[in-house]
Amino acid sequence: MGMTIAEKILAFHTMDGKATAGEIVEANVDLLMVHEVLGSRILPILDEMGFKKVWDPERVVIFNDHWAPASDIDSAEIHRRNRNFAREQEIPHFCDVECGISHQVIPEKGLVAPGELVVGSDSHTTTYGALNVFSTGLAATDSALILATGKNWFRVPESVRIEVRGDIKSPVMSKDLILKILSDLGPDGANYQSLEFTGSTIDGMQVSERMTMCNMAVEAGAKAAPMRVNRYVESWMKGFAPSKKWIPVEPDEDATYVDHRVYDIDEEPIEPMVAVPDNPTNGRVAQEVEGVPIDQAFIGSCTNGRISDLEVAARILRGKKVRDGVRLIITPASRLTYMVALEKGLIDIFMRAGGIVTNSTCGACVGGHLGVLGAGEVCISSSNRNFRGRMGHQDSRIYLASPATVAASALRGVITDPRGIES
Amino acid sequence: MNRDLNNITGRVWRFGNDIDTDQIIQGQYLRLLDYSEMAKHTFEIPRPVFASKVKKNDVIVAGRNFGGGSSREEAPKVLLELGVGCVVAESFARIFYRNGFNVGLPLLIVPNVAKLVQDGDVVTVNLMEGTLSIKGKGDVLHGKPLPERMLRLLSAGGAVEWYKQHRRT
Repeated sequence: MGMTIAEKILAFHTMDGKATAGEIVEANVDLLMVHEVLGSRILPILDEMGFKKVWDPERVVIFNDHWAPASDIDSAEIHRRNRNFAREQEIPHFCDVECGISHQVIPEKGLVAPGELVVGSDSHTTTYGALNVFSTGLAATDSALILATGKNWFRVPESVRIEVRGDIKSPVMSKDLILKILSDLGPDGANYQSLEFTGSTIDGMQVSERMTMCNMAVEAGAKAAPMRVNRYVESWMKGFAPSKKWIPVEPDEDATYVDHRVYDIDEEPIEPMVAVPDNPTNGRVAQEVEGVPIDQAFIGSCTNGRISDLEVAARILRGKKVRDGVRLIITPASRLTYMVALEKGLIDIFMRAGGIVTNSTCGACVGGHLGVLGAGEVCISSSNRNFRGRMGHQDSRIYLASPATVAASALRGVITDPRGIES
Repeated sequence: MNRDLNNITGRVWRFGNDIDTDQIIQGQYLRLLDYSEMAKHTFEIPRPVFASKVKKNDVIVAGRNFGGGSSREEAPKVLLELGVGCVVAESFARIFYRNGFNVGLPLLIVPNVAKLVQDGDVVTVNLMEGTLSIKGKGDVLHGKPLPERMLRLLSAGGAVEWYKQHRRT
């Protein structure tokens, strides 16, 4: 019987080489990512377990990225514990507060490759699906067990095939496409499942555009979102991980899918989308919510803080001014993103437009710092979650959109379809 | 762990569909290193009185997709910290489901439970049989029996205890 990408990758990592949807298998993990949850939650669990040594220091990567640099005494303590642990355990891949967001930095460091099984202590670990990786989020206890043993149990997920055909036309972005798909799936529409995005649109997408989609697959409950390798993935691997050996994992033609959805965007074009409060699956066509006044516009996060996202925003903001009374906060996803943005003159454009450019961190997206919302405030954000209270006060409201829509809205001071702005 | 898996009796706190992890415990509190401090903010948005009024073995009843969103294990941990006896929902988000059993918080899936049980009802949950009975009404709702693996984790008192008992030395 044919296998899906999820089944194949999990099967490569089990003792008997088998994995069929619905089964529970024990699998060896290629890479474990932990962030601040190491210092706050995992270390006490490791103490309780009587843990001595990481199973393989080369296969662990530690980040201080959520509140970077420390926003208060508690986060400073968590960061200190992570530094100590990395040193004591001689873990070479330690990314301290200067690095940026794990989901951008890990692919930049060439730490993931097609066909791998990756676990992170963060729900947005699905992002590496863009590189043909089976990557999924678990939490503290499961991460602790992996640190000790290098393996864990996984229920092999059923797969849903989502085929997308046609061209996305600027300023519409892959964010708009995923917001549209999420609005069709609903908040648990892919719970426990692997989403296999495929088709000519996905084949033609750059890695950054793909990462936005795989990142948000979890908002419908998906466990993983492994895409097929395309030419952009190949060149990414050549550039960022030249010494890694890997082979692409393709689904079999007769693989079993529990659902098959088709989006033909030449027939029915994707429009700029906005997810209204308080769920990422509340997608609406941007024109329907145009005119909602905003206090803050945020471009950043593991969803849309990459160089291509900043370029789109800069094209819209060049030579213009952010509306009075609106804060535009731009948080490049990684140190590398920041430096490339500097070289390309994007930071200059943002600063001249009246924006605030922060260091690379999860920051405002998790309501940590660098853009926390006050009571009654409204934010349009390029991030992934608009749960009530996510970015600050419980009576603040978050609208999710593409970097193009966020930039256009920052100029007008109200939610704005980017197609109405000259760039 | 001394939990009686056959008899968890308490008052019902009823919630709707899609109670995400930020509704259970907001991201801003994750930096608190002490769980007893963090637990004071449990359900702060949807049910501000919960943390101060909940009693040991009270039962949370919810609709679909309880615990969606973040991977944060703090979500089931704060419920456990406050003495919640069990969460009974129509469905659970994937990571929350796994986290619950890992930390030793029982979770039971019962179809339509949020429609059939009222806030303030007193219920008894029997995890071995997968049932929920409502005091004074004689109704017994049947849920999905717990998977063998989850029952083993609960009996051990969570994944860490299970690991300590089964570690090959």
